[in-house]
Amino acid sequence: MTTMSMSRLGPDRLKELTLAATIFLSLVVFGLLIEGYFSGRFFNRVTLGVAIVAVVAAGQSLVILTRNIDLSVGSIVGVSAYVTGQQLGNHPEANVVVAIALAIAIGAILGLINGLLVAVARIPSIIVTLGTLAIYRTVLIAYGDAKTITADTLPSWLVNLPKSTLFSIGDYDLRFMFALAIGVVIALQIAFGRLRVGRRLYALGSNPDAAHQAGLSINRLTVLAFVGCGALAGLGGFLFLARFGTITVTAGQGLELQAIAAAVVGGVSTLGGAGTLVGSLFGALLIEVLNQSLVRLPALSEFWRDAVLGLLILIAVILDAVLARRFNPGRPRILAGTSAPGREPGSAQAITETGGTATGGAATGGAP
Amino acid sequence: MTHYKKLLALIAALAMLAAACGSDDTEASNDEETAETADSDAADSDGAEEEAMEEDADSEEAMEEEDAMADGGFEAGLDFNAILLPKFTGIAVFDQANEGALEAAGELGTNEAEFLGPTADNSVAGQIEIVTNAATQGVDAVMISNNAGDQIEPAVADLVDTGAVVVTWDSPIPSSNGESLFVAQVDFDETGKVMADMARSILGDDGGSFAVLSASPDASNQNAWIAALEEVLATDEYADLILLDTVYGNDESEESYNQALALVDQHPDMELIMSPTTVGIAAAAKAMQDEDLCEDVKVSGLGLPDEMRAYTASGCAPEFALWSFVDLGYLTYYVTYGLATGQIEAADGASFSAGRMGDYTIETDPTRDAGLRVLMGPFTVYNEDNIG
Amino acid sequence: MTGRARPVISENRRWELLLLTILVVTVIFNVMQSTNYLGINNFINLFELSVEKIIVAVVMAFVIVCGEIDLSVASIMGVGACVVAVLHDSTSVPFTLAILIAVGVGGLAGLLQGWCSATLGVPSLVVTLAGLIGFRGLARILVEDRSIGDFPEWFDSLGQSGVIGPLPFSVIVFFVAILFGGVVLGRTGLGRRAYVIGDNAEMARYSGIDVVGYKIRLFAVSGAVAAFAGVLFAARLGSVRGDVASGFELDIITMVLLGGVSIFGGTGSMLGVFTSILIVLNLRNGLGLANVEANTQTGIIGVILIASVVLRNAFARFDTSSLDTQAPPHHEPAVTNHDLTTANP
Repeated sequence: MTTMSMSRLGPDRLKELTLAATIFLSLVVFGLLIEGYFSGRFFNRVTLGVAIVAVVAAGQSLVILTRNIDLSVGSIVGVSAYVTGQQLGNHPEANVVVAIALAIAIGAILGLINGLLVAVARIPSIIVTLGTLAIYRTVLIAYGDAKTITADTLPSWLVNLPKSTLFSIGDYDLRFMFALAIGVVIALQIAFGRLRVGRRLYALGSNPDAAHQAGLSINRLTVLAFVGCGALAGLGGFLFLARFGTITVTAGQGLELQAIAAAVVGGVSTLGGAGTLVGSLFGALLIEVLNQSLVRLPALSEFWRDAVLGLLILIAVILDAVLARRFNPGRPRILAGTSAPGREPGSAQAITETGGTATGGAATGGAP
Repeated sequence: MTHYKKLLALIAALAMLAAACGSDDTEASNDEETAETADSDAADSDGAEEEAMEEDADSEEAMEEEDAMADGGFEAGLDFNAILLPKFTGIAVFDQANEGALEAAGELGTNEAEFLGPTADNSVAGQIEIVTNAATQGVDAVMISNNAGDQIEPAVADLVDTGAVVVTWDSPIPSSNGESLFVAQVDFDETGKVMADMARSILGDDGGSFAVLSASPDASNQNAWIAALEEVLATDEYADLILLDTVYGNDESEESYNQALALVDQHPDMELIMSPTTVGIAAAAKAMQDEDLCEDVKVSGLGLPDEMRAYTASGCAPEFALWSFVDLGYLTYYVTYGLATGQIEAADGASFSAGRMGDYTIETDPTRDAGLRVLMGPFTVYNEDNIG
Repeated sequence: MTGRARPVISENRRWELLLLTILVVTVIFNVMQSTNYLGINNFINLFELSVEKIIVAVVMAFVIVCGEIDLSVASIMGVGACVVAVLHDSTSVPFTLAILIAVGVGGLAGLLQGWCSATLGVPSLVVTLAGLIGFRGLARILVEDRSIGDFPEWFDSLGQSGVIGPLPFSVIVFFVAILFGGVVLGRTGLGRRAYVIGDNAEMARYSGIDVVGYKIRLFAVSGAVAAFAGVLFAARLGSVRGDVASGFELDIITMVLLGGVSIFGGTGSMLGVFTSILIVLNLRNGLGLANVEANTQTGIIGVILIASVVLRNAFARFDTSSLDTQAPPHHEPAVTNHDLTTANP
């Protein structure tokens, strides 16, 4: 990724390093606190657990990069897992490629609906996806008719997928699902670094006006980000199906908050234009390590887990903010009082406002 | 308001009249069916007697006494508008309960109950809302699988004030305030014993240690069952079964799965995970299977045969228990119909005949400080021989 | 003051009109659907069933007008209820003092989040997401797996029976809150500053508004109000568990956004929020009485949320049809000039 010459990736690289260091540090601390902490099983657990969230968080990051948000990913994961599971039950002869393609296609279609509503109908993404969060789930519950997809109806290759290992070093396995997840995330990251479309997404996120002035099709990019997010959530649905085997119509509920948490802990700015998919992968990894480690702290009662997790996320984002300010004081978003979410392309309000401001110079936001 | 009530009463009276005129046929055929199935049910409960504990001996005596006077069953075809309220909608067990209720409504020749439930993520507030709306609608009865603990009480009190009957099933109102009675799927104390016995049968005669993976820390039925289990374990007979830990998976697959694996790490000598919730047991079994742990750590608890079949076959969950939710819905509908139409009273010792399921007696609930219950029981314990 | 102020205002008016139309349709639908709908008891029920959410929605409107968001409100409601319950259950603290402490804890929770967000510059979405997880954890630590009830008689009846006629205390609190909130937001400098900050915080700062202080105070108020709403919820339920009020945040935010408050801050009115609250409550009530599944109700509200913005955009396009609608957005600085002049104290 050294070919990325955009200056903004400096701080992003720094963030990734900070996160990696934080993950390493937590591992050391927990290793001292918990007897027998490092084991092949713990490694497998974290890697398998992170696979689903990492994929969904990567999709979420795409959308957040463009100054949007997708609250509907949990419902997309549910629909994709349920429908794919049902189809595999009816057509057990289908192979892994067909299953994954189906799951991704379902997700992409739902993402396309979100994207069109945001970009073409010009509805703020939080409203669109707050709505589709409910609508997709409602449709799934009506469609599912309280039937549960059970493991014994699924082909055995799918049920055994979480166990399948590419290679092992001692007790430490590289599981197929984890490899698939990080493979997809890293491949997308590299692709975005090299392809024009990736740079355009960053450009759109960091300054939509400038991006428009530069002749980028903002609508197309926004739709693309949502389709990508939906497709990744669909893949997440496939992983969810493989991992849990038993899928009810409530599958994936609440995953949207985990995905957003992973993305923002991973340094993806909710103001758009900053952060990387690999960062969100690290964010997911950090949260998973904390989650898996906190359940094993004997001193910490069951009831303390959420409180500690919330606190740690808070510390992580504060550290990120403080570090970013220290290393890059020029970034406007760090200035006190400017933490409002970015305006987004296609907002209804924007249309009426465009009248007086359609000239280019305003893009820098200068004071009068 | 009184205007509407009068109108409703008038409509109800007319409907009753119409129903009474047209119901002769169905009543006769129902009687025949009842007589037939009552016998076969007695045979069933004999077969399962091993699972049923002392509690059952009492109720069986009572049943024999009542057999003579309760042959007729309820007068069918009376007007009866009710709501069947599950903890939330979208999962199989509650849908099965509704199937049972529909079957009973068909037999009784009356209206099908509205099957209305909240969404899973809004269960408590949603249940309260539905109960409150039921009071406004002026329904005859609401059958609740209570997920709101004592928090449902005020809404239920308002509903009862309108003259409606409230019956709980699956999960009661802990204080019993407001409910006429609780249709208990199994004896809540017995649940502890059944879980301990399954643990014994899986762990072997020399005992061993195990952990509990429950639903949410707020679920009143699960909490009661775990308390009962702890009580049983405290007796000498079960002294060699050691309960290491109780953790919560909040009835979410993912969390239950992770909690099960964390238990394995935390307690190297653990040989069994006991999960008294259908979501937890399936997730735990999948987790053990995925990690090739089934040799060392078995899974048991309360599970749906459909969801557990694969794991029983693979030996990960050799034995688990459950009751029939279809029967639970069926029995609940029968007793609620009887109460709401004034054919029986919610009083200790009152008995009734519930169609194909035979005769039941209302009794004081020994597992709560107050309240009445109808005990359905017994458990069916599933293993590779009977899971099919 | 520039002429551009006018379209924004008429935009708000139009939105309110649209909402009013939806409300009228909903009410007509309900009247036709159910004979039980019209009736004073049902009308009170309709408010009472969601009263805690709509009280919080009033202060959420301020937060969103300011261009911020508070996802932690439901968890803080849980903390408020649990603090009262635990103080009542295991200490001899007088009950009224327990309520004050609970509200104070909520305020502190909000203060902490406001400080993190405004001073350190961490987006409030992120801070309050952490708060959503963390404060729910705090509520769980407090009550663990217990269900705490047996509150004083007066407290239970406060939540469950009428104070003025059949009107429960909490419903009165809501009407006072929305009236007060409407006046403050629409008619005072305090409210106008919220619009200015929401429109462009940087500009607000240059014009001498203490943006950081304003936001911190606002989050503190949001926390305190949420905790108080949690206490009211405890009174209505008569007992408290660790999961009390969980998941309420999305409903609350939905009502505010449907009310026409822009998620980017700077626009919206309390009248719109009030109308949207009436729509959501009447819709849920009517559908509930018509025995429509809760799941379907949520879906329908989702559709209305999206459809209403589509409609608004369609109207807006009529007005600005001369503009290239493909043109992207907006621009903060130029938009706010007029606001600044009106808002300067």
